[in-house]
Amino acid sequence: MLEVSIIGAGPAGLTAAYELSKLGLKSTVIEADHQVGGLSRTVNYRGYRFDIGGHRFFSKVPLINELWQEILGEDFLVRPRLSRIHYDGHFFDYPLKAFNALAGLGPVEAFLVGLSYTKAKLFPSEEETTFEQWVSNRFGHRLYRIFFKTYTEKVWGIPCTEISADWAAQRIKNLSLSEAIRNALFGSGRTKNGQIITTLIDNFYYPRLGPGMMWERCKELLAARGHETIHETRVEKIRHRHGRVECIYGKTFSGELVEFGGDHFLSTMPLRELIQALDPAPPEEVLQAAKNLRYRDYLTVVLIVRRETVFPDNWIYIHTPGVKMGRIQNYKNWSPEMVPDPTRTSLGLEYFLWDKDEEWNWSNDRLIELGIRECAQIGLIDPTEIEDGTVVRMKKAYPVYDQKYYENLAILRQYLETFSNLQTIGRNGLHRYNNQDHSMLTGIYAARNIVGEKYDVWSVNTEMEYHEESRVEKTETSKKKVFSKVGDTTLGDRQVPTRIVPATTASHISPDEIIEAVFAKLDPLALGTAVGIVSGLSLFLATIILLLKGGFVVGPNLSLLRHYFLGFRVTWSGAFIGLVEAGIGGFILGYLIAWLRNWGMRAYAFLLKKRAEAEAQRRLLDDV
Amino acid sequence: MTKHDESEEVSRAIVKIQAGVLAFVCAMIGGIGLFVMTAWLLIKGGPKVGQHLQLLGQYFPGYSVTWKGSLIGFFYGAIVGGIIGWIIGKIYNGIVGIRQH
Ligand SMILES: Cc1cc2nc3c(=O)[nH]c(=O)nc-3n(C[C@H](O)[C@H](O)[C@H](O)COP(=O)(O)OP(=O)(O)OC[C@H]3O[C@@H](n4cnc5c(N)ncnc54)[C@H](O)[C@@H]3O)c2cc1C
Repeated sequence: MLEVSIIGAGPAGLTAAYELSKLGLKSTVIEADHQVGGLSRTVNYRGYRFDIGGHRFFSKVPLINELWQEILGEDFLVRPRLSRIHYDGHFFDYPLKAFNALAGLGPVEAFLVGLSYTKAKLFPSEEETTFEQWVSNRFGHRLYRIFFKTYTEKVWGIPCTEISADWAAQRIKNLSLSEAIRNALFGSGRTKNGQIITTLIDNFYYPRLGPGMMWERCKELLAARGHETIHETRVEKIRHRHGRVECIYGKTFSGELVEFGGDHFLSTMPLRELIQALDPAPPEEVLQAAKNLRYRDYLTVVLIVRRETVFPDNWIYIHTPGVKMGRIQNYKNWSPEMVPDPTRTSLGLEYFLWDKDEEWNWSNDRLIELGIRECAQIGLIDPTEIEDGTVVRMKKAYPVYDQKYYENLAILRQYLETFSNLQTIGRNGLHRYNNQDHSMLTGIYAARNIVGEKYDVWSVNTEMEYHEESRVEKTETSKKKVFSKVGDTTLGDRQVPTRIVPATTASHISPDEIIEAVFAKLDPLALGTAVGIVSGLSLFLATIILLLKGGFVVGPNLSLLRHYFLGFRVTWSGAFIGLVEAGIGGFILGYLIAWLRNWGMRAYAFLLKKRAEAEAQRRLLDDV
Repeated sequence: MTKHDESEEVSRAIVKIQAGVLAFVCAMIGGIGLFVMTAWLLIKGGPKVGQHLQLLGQYFPGYSVTWKGSLIGFFYGAIVGGIIGWIIGKIYNGIVGIRQH
């Protein structure tokens, strides 16, 4: 039986192991930490549970929704979402709402915002290469400064003038016309095939005890099937020969070196570290490309507050200038079971840093002090209410998309493709800003590749959410696989966890088929010709019937048509003139009807798309 | 149409008209149309009721602007409308078929 060694017990590594177990292959997962889940772990501090950030579970890939439910079942809750923006002493609705935003800003600022918006609409910046230009063109520079600049710069540590407009435009661009129509007509919770999926707008899935619960359960299921997860062992060396990895070496916490063999190897460790761990070392160009990859680090200060309710949101974006934290999570609102004592609240203050930043090396006490000060500064708590606190540092939380990352990645990818039994997967394994679902999907693909399938794990990215949804394609063979099954969108009341209702079956006529039929075009040429022939012949017949009937004065009334058809008379030659002219008139009429009908449908489709784009723009912070 | 426009197409399909359905719709429009036009003139009344509409009698034997004529008109209107709809549907589909091949 083939044996597989997997580096990292995050979502990608564990999902790969899970898929391998279904395929009947044996795997061993080697994890550096004492816990599974990676960035999606749940930390337990004296009974208070918290995420690294806050992990919403949402996916447009039905296979992933199915897997989450398979692993967690009843413990997978649907939770309502509420998040707002804090700016200058006010809370603003998120997604942004025009009246709420203007009312919160006050009359003077609202007027200035209006002016700047008008200016952006009348005289938009012609160049739209930076994030700043892109957002300013859509919201006006003033709104951009208030609602986008500070937070984006906090997260990425780069001025918005240096962030490419591409990734903001990506989401809007990816909204295809047919997707916008599908969402408008059938609701945004459906895939192309009509399957119901979770919408991430007002609710999301969340495990009862935090995201780590998903991965702990996954580990247990693997153990029950005889697949081991080894903890506290950091892979430091990967020995290879003739394009094949022979074995990997991990160092335990006690400093012991352990060797792991296998026929195949999957790695979720950061690409930079993986390349540096290869033995013998790769060519200099490859090493340099790996060294050039950059990562944004992340730190969370958790404060335990002696109060039952602090605010109703799951999280608040902090845009207020002069405050270092970027977001505050309220874990109790994600799931009430995240706190052991209902009279207490635990807040997670999120700081996005570089590990070379001074704050990164501050003591925990100093960071907790900073957190308390900033929370008090924005009026959320009274410092005397703080009972306890802790700090968790997470290196390499965000793979950075800088100007050169794509070039570097291409070099690494090309080099890694020379290995026949090594695949890199997951967020840092591919240096992709992926959520859990796409990280997991790469794990599934890699596992299937081991049994001979030919998926391109590098093709899984955020775009896939919009283009691929339930369908996975082999990039080279174009063989298609369609995964069916449905998720569920049952909503719960705020703050009350609700259970998943069993999946419903999808209609066998997909929304896309319906849209295709409804928006099908009339052929103007064909309709013009048909109406033309019928009109011409009708007038011809009407004329000759009168001629054949004869009489004293033949067709005095019909001949009035000469006012419209030049040269028409109720005579034999007039009948032919009428045939031709009524034919031409009919053709023009038919053509126009078809053209207008097509144009109307198209205009309607574009209207739906414009609405969807405006909606997506208002939710831009979700992607930062 | 530009390349960009094509990629923005919602549907690439071309409508095929169901000739029977179009015939039925046109028949209803023709029949009900002529019935209502006749009835309207009768309700309005006057010295010379429907002197122009009357002329349809040239084509539709038995038709006149009377209540009985309105029912006969419904019948004729429906037949002519149905034939026109059916022919338009058939010709349209035929041309679409030729153009698609
Ligand atoms: C602040 C924040 C918020 C997020 N919010 C969401 C969200 O709302 N929804 C969502 O779906 N996703 C969210 N994500 C993304 C999600 O966390 C990741 O997509 C997912 O965890 C990636 O899984 P992974 O297995 O690829 O990598 P990781 O989670 O990074 O796991 C990799 C594992 O490999 C281990 N490892 C690394 N190097 C070695 C080594 N040398 N030897 C052995 N083990 C090693 C690590 O310890 C880790 O356990 C968020 C991420 C962050 C940082």
